[in-house]
Amino acid sequence: MFQYILKKEFLLISRDIHALLVLFIMPTLFIIIMSLALQNTYSNTIDTKFQIALNTQTTKDTKYLIQEINKNNYFEAKIINDQDIKKLIYTQNFDIVVTIIKEYKSQINTNQKKFHIDIHINPNISLQNQLLFKNLFTEIISKQIMKEYFIKNKINAKTLSQLNKKINIIPTYKEEKFKIKPTSVQYSVPSWLVFSMFFILIPISNTFINEKNFGTIARLKSINVPFFSIILGKMVPYFIINQFQVLFMILVGIYIIPILNGDTLQINGNYGLIFMMSSAISFAAISFAIFIANISSTSEEATTIGGVSNIVLAALGGIMVPKFVMPEFMQNIASLSPMNWGLEGLLEIFVMGGNFSDIEAYILYLILFGSGFLILSYLILKKKENI
Amino acid sequence: MAIEIKNLNKFYKTTKVLDNLSLTIQKGSLFGLLGPNGAGKTTLVSIMNYLQNCDSGEINIFGYDYKKHKKEIKQISSFVPQTYAFYPKLTAYENLEFFGALYGLKKNQLKKRINYCIKVTSLEKFINKQAHTFSGGVKRRLNIAIGLLNTPKILYLDEPTVGIDPQSRKYILDVIKKINKEDKTTIIYTSHYMEEIEYLCDDIAILDNHQIILHETKEKLLEKSSFITIQTQQENIQVNVKDNYIAFIEMLNTLKDQNTTIQNINFNNKNLEELFLNITKGKLRD
Repeated sequence: MFQYILKKEFLLISRDIHALLVLFIMPTLFIIIMSLALQNTYSNTIDTKFQIALNTQTTKDTKYLIQEINKNNYFEAKIINDQDIKKLIYTQNFDIVVTIIKEYKSQINTNQKKFHIDIHINPNISLQNQLLFKNLFTEIISKQIMKEYFIKNKINAKTLSQLNKKINIIPTYKEEKFKIKPTSVQYSVPSWLVFSMFFILIPISNTFINEKNFGTIARLKSINVPFFSIILGKMVPYFIINQFQVLFMILVGIYIIPILNGDTLQINGNYGLIFMMSSAISFAAISFAIFIANISSTSEEATTIGGVSNIVLAALGGIMVPKFVMPEFMQNIASLSPMNWGLEGLLEIFVMGGNFSDIEAYILYLILFGSGFLILSYLILKKKENI
Repeated sequence: MAIEIKNLNKFYKTTKVLDNLSLTIQKGSLFGLLGPNGAGKTTLVSIMNYLQNCDSGEINIFGYDYKKHKKEIKQISSFVPQTYAFYPKLTAYENLEFFGALYGLKKNQLKKRINYCIKVTSLEKFINKQAHTFSGGVKRRLNIAIGLLNTPKILYLDEPTVGIDPQSRKYILDVIKKINKEDKTTIIYTSHYMEEIEYLCDDIAILDNHQIILHETKEKLLEKSSFITIQTQQENIQVNVKDNYIAFIEMLNTLKDQNTTIQNINFNNKNLEELFLNITKGKLRD
């Protein structure tokens, strides 16, 4: 009997083109777009460097400044002597214009009170990048002055001059064997995968509500079919579809994104952990979908309630806006979203190289969430005498 | 006895839906259940099929106690709801296969039964087409075909001809008659179409105000509906004319002998619909 229940559900899903679009095409597009759009955020090089205009006169010192700025991966500078700052930013498309007098060194060395350097920025430049440039520029001038001082006083400061190179940034993984380079694709795949898994709500609610409204559920109830078989018959096919989503999105990360000049998704053999996490996410998503289908009278109602809930849970859960950019109180709220549990668990595997002990709490939360909604659905069905 | 119901009560919160209802239906009969909207027909059929619970009362179906033998009763019963209770995106064959499997039919047995149901309801042309492409009549036939899969001893049909053309309706009614005659299936048929019940059923009950207010064979019911009212100065005399008018002529002769003046003669040769309206007081039900 059970094989026919599964066959029925698979046939219904395979003939629901809209559901397939939502479950497979929508997340694929999101993963491609977000992986490529955020590529530079997680990389130490960028394709389009910030354009810097050094508004000053050409001297040996200002040439040195240009030379040092251009050693950086993020900025590209040239000397332009023009007083019209707005023209430089809005007509000549410079991101940053630095106004500095050519005698800046002597002014600094003699502690001139009126000395200042103005950094004009296009307001679209993020605060992070403004500070990055300001620190870089301060460092270059400091190094230039100190270098001359050391030469003059015959002090060997080779190490100090190479200090930047001596400071290493080392990603520290929980499990060294699973070490993975953090790239945009490592974040995008789990994020949009969790999001799309929760959209299993669309086909589940459509079938469930049609069964309710067309009297099919009454017919099923009049036959000797245990409630357990009906519910399990719904959960198993959708669970398998969720796993297909996982496989499909991972393949997109491994094979499609690199074709489009993005980074390749790295898994490093953590298949068991990924399956455990995806099973827990799937259970939570399916149970939530069954609950929404139960409290809705029409497919439109379910799609609206479910769609809005999914988007809110995604926004709260760090899918749309990464949790690390949120203020602390928002991060606390994010921790209440089941999508966040799913995402954090997957990030532990995809980015941190975590092991089972790192994801067990998330699995537990997701199972509790799913069980809660399944029990609620049972009680609602029982109250409506549908069991 | 196919069905025996004693003192059945059902409440929705504080509203009484079935009030001490008692009813017996003979094995192999084609039973028609009539009643205005809200009378409790669907509730009664739903209870019989375990779609709703009853609050009190006893039900016995083919010798099985309703409360103790749920599994056995479900095995010998089949319910065809008023709605198209199947999956529109599945083909007719896939629908039959799915529901047949739920009834516990195994491979060969399932195939055999599906073929029989397809033949009885003339669905041969539609087996590989998705159900949502069917006309209303074909959908109704598929609905009934699914109900026949478990070779039921009792088949509940809840308004199975709603919204279809006269040809399809005639075909469906004939199929139901055939199933009743050939397979000796007891059929419980609810409908608003009096002429259908009149054409189809041999045992008819009218449910109104949550109770069975009339339960007779079709013959007796139609007898009740064929009478002539003779109005005299003193009284109104009703004469049952059945199949002939002898009683009516005799009454006229008697009145003539008594020198009674006849003021008016009203030929109340009613059909089942008129009788139904008469019995249920013809009030609009919401």
